[in-house]
Amino acid sequence: MESSELARFEAVVLPHLDAAYTLARYLTRNAHDAEDVVQDACLRALKYFDGFRGEEGTSARAWLLTIVRNTAFGSRRRQRPDAVMLEFDEAQHSGAVADEHPEAALLRSAAKESLGRALDRLAPEFREVIVLRELEGLSYKEISDVAGVPVGTVMSRLSRARTRLQQALREEEGG
Amino acid sequence: MTHPGFEAQLDAYLDGELATIDARQLEAHLAQCPECARFRQERLELRAAIKARVPAFQASDALRERVQTALRGASRVRATGRFGAPVVWRSLALAASLAVVALGSWRLALQRAAGETLADAVLTSHIRSLMPGHLTDVPSSDQHTVKPWFNGKLDFSPPVFDFAGRGYPLIGGRLDYVGGRSVAALVYGRRQHLINVLLWPTGRGPTFAPATETRQGYHLLHWTTPDYTYWVVSDLGLVELQDFAQLLRQADSAASGPAAARGLR
Repeated sequence: MESSELARFEAVVLPHLDAAYTLARYLTRNAHDAEDVVQDACLRALKYFDGFRGEEGTSARAWLLTIVRNTAFGSRRRQRPDAVMLEFDEAQHSGAVADEHPEAALLRSAAKESLGRALDRLAPEFREVIVLRELEGLSYKEISDVAGVPVGTVMSRLSRARTRLQQALREEEGG
Repeated sequence: MTHPGFEAQLDAYLDGELATIDARQLEAHLAQCPECARFRQERLELRAAIKARVPAFQASDALRERVQTALRGASRVRATGRFGAPVVWRSLALAASLAVVALGSWRLALQRAAGETLADAVLTSHIRSLMPGHLTDVPSSDQHTVKPWFNGKLDFSPPVFDFAGRGYPLIGGRLDYVGGRSVAALVYGRRQHLINVLLWPTGRGPTFAPATETRQGYHLLHWTTPDYTYWVVSDLGLVELQDFAQLLRQADSAASGPAAARGLR
């Protein structure tokens, strides 16, 4: 790769480094892992950069965030397979968003939850849509590209995640 | 509880993602259903709470440096790889990669010297503006603050509009230098995307309808009116950016003369 190519890559990708770090930070839930994910994602992005340039209509931000997202999920699977299993557990995961499940009662009783902590507790696929929409400002279509799910799924996940966060907010104010 | 099945639609509506026809039906329903109206109110409160209390992070300088170092290392390896690096070449690999780097920057310098095209200059201006502290010289959503700020700094008074009502709020303005002259840069927002509008007086040239270019993942729209040359650049999706450009052209032609304004109405 020639340096002009690298310069072009840096001009396209580096302006979105804050966005990349924000997503990585919320997906990994800690600063150290987030930095590793961002670095790995940028290296991967460099590798696939040829494939990106030709595409019309894809924003560089959404493109980079897709790679960050996949890197974050990949690295979690590698490092802590048990934690991932637990987090994707169907029962717990629906408990985290539906109020009639007993898990939700447990969560509610766990005193006041800050909004940030409530977000951290959401299952990853719900957390990511909130971050992509509320903090990164992506459209539903872009979120669907990043998360690799249909727009309808984006819509229902966002709605369920918000309902859960709203509960946390209410507990905070009420309790 | 709100009406089942409606919540996701209401969310999509509040996100501005619902088709116009559906949105009208939903508005009609909202007007007569207190439960759904309350749901909307709670969602707006949640959105405000998220905005106020769930932070977006900034990549530290250390991380930026770390990433850049890693990228340089990786691109050097790739450059070396292109030479094949068989045994005989191995000792020369480093020298070869250095040569490639040198050749690359030399060629780049030559291109620069031959004169950047205007589109390059506009894109550079946009990217530079995204770096911390470079976006605006006068941060204001008030067009009556931004416009007079340019007095005495430019030899023209750029038209400034606010499209907050249409989802493109004015964020501010700054001076920039493009194509060998000082130009006005106006910054608009769309969700988290930024739009730079660069403009300067047209030198009595012919007028052009908007032309579109895509570079490095950014879209650039360019047109000229009898008064001004306009460049609009953003990473926003092309459809929305064209929508914005249309608003801008309408506002500009309405403002540029009573005859034009009458024509619009």
